[in-house]
Amino acid sequence: MAGLAPRVDYLAGFSFPVGGLAAGKPRVLRLGAEILLSTGRELVYVFDSGGRQLTAVYRFPGQVWHLEVLALRRMLFVLCAWSGVYCLSLDQAGRSVSQSERDEEDSEPPAPVIPVDPDACVLPDATLRAFTVLDGALVTLAQGTAQWKLQLFECPGPGQARPLGKTGEVELSASTPPAGGPGKPEAPRFLPVLCCVSPPGCGASHGLQRGPRGFVLEGALFGLLFGMDATLLESPVVLCGLPDGQLCCVILKTLVTCSSAPGDPKALVRTLHHLEEPVIFIGALRTEPLPEDGEDTRCDCLVALGHRGRTLAVKASRDGAGSPVPELREYCLPGPVLCAACGRGGRVYHSTPTSLCLVDLARGSAPWLGEEADVPAAGLGGLPSLLCPANLSICSVVTLTVSPRPPGGGTELLALSARGRLLTCHLEQSPEAPWPSRGTTMDTGRKIKDLLCSISTISERASSLRRAVEQRDQALTRLNEALNVSCALLSRREGPRPISCTTTTAWGRRELRDVLTATCLLESSGGPRLGRGWVLCVQVLPGARAPDPEAAGPAMTYTVPVDQLGPGGRREVTLALGPGEDGVLDLPVTVCCALFCSLQEALGGALAPSGSFGDASRDEDRPDTLPGPGGICLPLSEHTVDLLQGLRFPGLAVPPAQASGPSGPAPDPVDTFLEACCRPAGPEPPRATYLPPSMAAITVSAELLRAAWGGRFSGTSLSCATLQWLLAENASVDAVRARALSSIEGVAPDGTDVRLTVHEVAVADVCPTGPLQAAEIQVQSCSLASVCGVHGAVLRRMQRVVEEQAARGSSPPDLRMQHLHQTQASHEALLREVRMLRDQLCEEDGAGSRAATATERLLRVYRQLRSPGLLLL
Amino acid sequence: MELWNSVLHVSSLPPELLPALHHLAGLQAALWLSTDRLGDLTLLLQTLNGSQSEASGDLLLLLKTWNPPAKASDDPLTLQDAQRLRDVLLTASAFRQGLQELTTGSLPRALSSLYEAASGLCPRPVLVQVYTALGTCLRKMGSPQRALLYLVAALKGESICGPPLLEASRLYRQLGNTAAELESLELLVEALNVIPSSEVPHFLIEVELLLPRPDPASPLHCGTLSQVKYLLASRCLQMGRAEDAVEHYLDLLALLLDGSEPKFSPPTCPPGPCMPEVFLEAAAALIQAGRAQDALTVCEELLSRTSSLLPKMPQPWKDARKGTKESPQCPSWVSATYLLQGQAWVQLGDQKQAISEFSRCLELLFRATPKDKEQGPASNCEQGYTSDVELQQLRAAALISRGLEWGASGQDTKALQDFLLSVQVYPGNGDASFHLLQTLKRLDRRDEATALWQRLEAQTKLPQENATWSLPLYLETCLSWIRPPDREALLEEFGTSLQEPCDL
Repeated sequence: MAGLAPRVDYLAGFSFPVGGLAAGKPRVLRLGAEILLSTGRELVYVFDSGGRQLTAVYRFPGQVWHLEVLALRRMLFVLCAWSGVYCLSLDQAGRSVSQSERDEEDSEPPAPVIPVDPDACVLPDATLRAFTVLDGALVTLAQGTAQWKLQLFECPGPGQARPLGKTGEVELSASTPPAGGPGKPEAPRFLPVLCCVSPPGCGASHGLQRGPRGFVLEGALFGLLFGMDATLLESPVVLCGLPDGQLCCVILKTLVTCSSAPGDPKALVRTLHHLEEPVIFIGALRTEPLPEDGEDTRCDCLVALGHRGRTLAVKASRDGAGSPVPELREYCLPGPVLCAACGRGGRVYHSTPTSLCLVDLARGSAPWLGEEADVPAAGLGGLPSLLCPANLSICSVVTLTVSPRPPGGGTELLALSARGRLLTCHLEQSPEAPWPSRGTTMDTGRKIKDLLCSISTISERASSLRRAVEQRDQALTRLNEALNVSCALLSRREGPRPISCTTTTAWGRRELRDVLTATCLLESSGGPRLGRGWVLCVQVLPGARAPDPEAAGPAMTYTVPVDQLGPGGRREVTLALGPGEDGVLDLPVTVCCALFCSLQEALGGALAPSGSFGDASRDEDRPDTLPGPGGICLPLSEHTVDLLQGLRFPGLAVPPAQASGPSGPAPDPVDTFLEACCRPAGPEPPRATYLPPSMAAITVSAELLRAAWGGRFSGTSLSCATLQWLLAENASVDAVRARALSSIEGVAPDGTDVRLTVHEVAVADVCPTGPLQAAEIQVQSCSLASVCGVHGAVLRRMQRVVEEQAARGSSPPDLRMQHLHQTQASHEALLREVRMLRDQLCEEDGAGSRAATATERLLRVYRQLRSPGLLLL
Repeated sequence: MELWNSVLHVSSLPPELLPALHHLAGLQAALWLSTDRLGDLTLLLQTLNGSQSEASGDLLLLLKTWNPPAKASDDPLTLQDAQRLRDVLLTASAFRQGLQELTTGSLPRALSSLYEAASGLCPRPVLVQVYTALGTCLRKMGSPQRALLYLVAALKGESICGPPLLEASRLYRQLGNTAAELESLELLVEALNVIPSSEVPHFLIEVELLLPRPDPASPLHCGTLSQVKYLLASRCLQMGRAEDAVEHYLDLLALLLDGSEPKFSPPTCPPGPCMPEVFLEAAAALIQAGRAQDALTVCEELLSRTSSLLPKMPQPWKDARKGTKESPQCPSWVSATYLLQGQAWVQLGDQKQAISEFSRCLELLFRATPKDKEQGPASNCEQGYTSDVELQQLRAAALISRGLEWGASGQDTKALQDFLLSVQVYPGNGDASFHLLQTLKRLDRRDEATALWQRLEAQTKLPQENATWSLPLYLETCLSWIRPPDREALLEEFGTSLQEPCDL
């Protein structure tokens, strides 16, 4: 590799944004001694390589995405983002523009900044993404809403009247719709690439000059790729490389002029290949030496490079029987490819963030890599089976061009680095004498200069590599942390977890409304620390713990970043559960807390090979290597907020100090008064007026309750203890305890009164051993909904108790079977009635007197079911 | 649509909003019509019309019943009010519907829709299109005279445009009036030569903007200059007007190949023939017109332009069946080129050259196997032979041609061999049998001749099996050259000559 060092010459520096220039949009072109250059911003620089100074700077109204120049007519074509194609002559040039028009904010260029007249826009079209010029025609590629559109225009001259005559149009229908709408979207990450190729006779016979990027292909390759018709017509062909990886071609002479007969894409567009990654470059080169003179530049190999390094090369060869067949090979070069260029002698140069590489399609390996790396060639004149890129030790070149014929022989590359440096890079023709050893002083001076130049490029490269290494280290540390946390949380199913989350509820006041808030408290009790990338996800699902997520209604998810949570640290998240604007709060709801670590966040830019390219190139790689929402999710807790927690007890008048929430449960006398006034005319008047207060009851044996409580509530009476237990998660539990209440009146979130009473009763005829001590819990309210809600909440608690008891294996007391049978029979009768009524309602399906009676009967059945209610033992 | 639903179902819509709403609905309808969202459009109109026409899904009916509120005096001045917008929509959708029905083949319904469009508010260019479509419809329904009336009406405008002319040529072709057919095609070529003036920008919503872009199946598609030119040339050749055909073919080739102008000229695009066939037809026309030397030039041009893509000729035959693309055969047109070159030499009187060209042709043809049509019709000329019959006919034609030349140079045995082979190759080709008969007669092989004659006699008694195979035009033309002049007379003459010795 030692012999590979090219002679690098630093020509000029241009301003670049923080993070360096992004690849894809900067361009550099050589026009004789002049170098035309754009860095992807609004300016196009004209640099005189002889005098080493800027001769002109053009300011365009938008970002410059593409440049082409017609050398003979000295005409410059520029594609401006969101505005269209501009055409200006480099000669007439507003060079006469006085120096006074110099732009103050851009103090860098010493040349006059010439604002480009909007009239120079020959093709205004905001959807244009690429263009190319050839043979007196302008080929453009525009992005439609669903497909790409290739259009052909007469080539404009400077000052030509608009609009340009459109001579053809076709939609590349097979392509996937490009992302983004037609509005004012962000700049596309990848632009499509256009390349013109012509058959041998085409350009030469007419004496017309081809466009700057046009290639002449050998007849056989041309015919194989584009077909007999294109060969016979001797028509130029436009190759399109699209960001979705498609490589398609359009025979220009078949594009239809007539507006009444638009081209049929199936007949006009042919897909040659699919690279499966954004196409960065299309070019052609000569791999075999020409038998006659070396001046002719008929290419015999077509090359296309994808963003991730996938490379396609096509050559014509003949099969055993002598029929011409295309030889098609795919290679994998190191990516991501920022830009590429074809040189002479079968060489392809391509740039990645870390190096500028050279491959030789004629021989497979770099020409001076030596014979030890020689690769067996695939048959006579075929393509090599393997490509070995040779590193030229220049990093982060964002645009590249090969000078047509450098004065001293060899190859000269013109490159713009991400740091805005314009470089020329000379590769010597003969590998034996890379450094001429004539020891004149001038040579020594030149040599020192070259050395300094290469030192600077190497230091630039070293710094970018160092940054990449640092990023990778950080990413690894974060990944390690994430794994530690996951292990700690997932391995210990029993016992206290090192990181826990508890949820409490309280009524608060927010924006003049009473709001039930849930507070999730994330606590770390030793164990691993949570670093960057972790978020706490709180999901609020309607309904109690829903067994299947399909049945649940719309869920709300809140994500809160947990920024550094060490041992002993705690983080609190408070969210409002409702009631919302409409005054409705549907309880119960389930609050699920989980920790989530996004891998993207944790890895950061470490997956982009170098950090020196700003966000553009870093973003490019993410979707390729990581699925978007990939990450680690660790469930922490699940908490059901039911009506028992949502009840308020204005009658208790809790002293503010005992309230657990940030504000007490709103004992505003005015509100209370207003509520009291409004309630008769509230939203539930019918029930309040003609229905008696609904009631539901549950009877629970004292034994069951005591077993569930364990040692708690030992000094209190059964009824008081039961009430305290039921309201344990309510903010008012302290007041209940303080007053030793066994009956309490509260207000449900919808404003209805709810009465909760616990009696101590003796159930006589259940056990053969005698009467059973039990607690009867009564729920009473004039709103049926509230009764249901509270009853449901009580039942859920009971259910949990029974489940726990069953898990402990305690046996129920002896029961009299007769009683059980009786209960079952009566309940079955009720069930039958319910079914009958339901069927009846379904059949009628509408209002009517029968429906009304059915509803009433249903209500009655409900009451019968609820009261005297369940007996739990 | 959801937005419209929610707006229109608001119970208390302020009445002062109604005109604006209907106007907006008209614009929405225009947008949906032009983007082909007819389902949404129908729903919208149903909602606008209220419940009385809920059941009707007929777009035209809905548009007719839609009655936007009249303009009040204090409304803002609009260039195009809802009423006028409705009229435009009505015409455009009637026309669209008519065209669609015409394409799908429900002609009576198409006719009524097109009448509806023609009676509506139409700018002149649209009216021309409607009349053309009416002409197509009536022609297909079998009333050519009425169709002609509409086409004449369409052509009465100040600017001549393509579609009615093309339609007229089709009509005349159906009527068998070749002169008028070719004349309309010539006019069409002239009309297409005129560079259309740049489109006038539309400020209002006009019918033109709401029409679909014509696809090749539509009667409004008149193709490009080169397509029409090709049509004209091939019709001339088919109708036996070789001189005209030559002119048109040469014009067409010049148009397609001459790149001296920077203007891009579009060639025939599918479903037309591919480029090599155009060359071959041109050569055939030249031979037909007696310009054999020019025909040779055209053939050589074709071969030289595609030389890099053809297999190297002296390759040894290898049966390498690696895949369809790699089997070593030339496309059919290559052998056809040699056949035509041979015919040109025949005309120039050079038998030796002719025979060598025919032999080259046969060498290629007997290597070839017909290809499966798996590549689709678009790539006919890239692939091998399109059909078995075409290959067989080509072989027969080449054999007969060579046989005729052997016969003409007095080598009757060689001629006999070729004729025999050609009868074997394609038994359906009667021409070969006749040539065989003549040769047998000349060689005085009476028994074989008699047997053949009896077979031929039996064949002519049978109803003629009409050749439904559509052969390439150049092949048809070539076959016509080697057809024996008068079959009936030949048979009769042979019959009498057979009887004479019997009578003795």
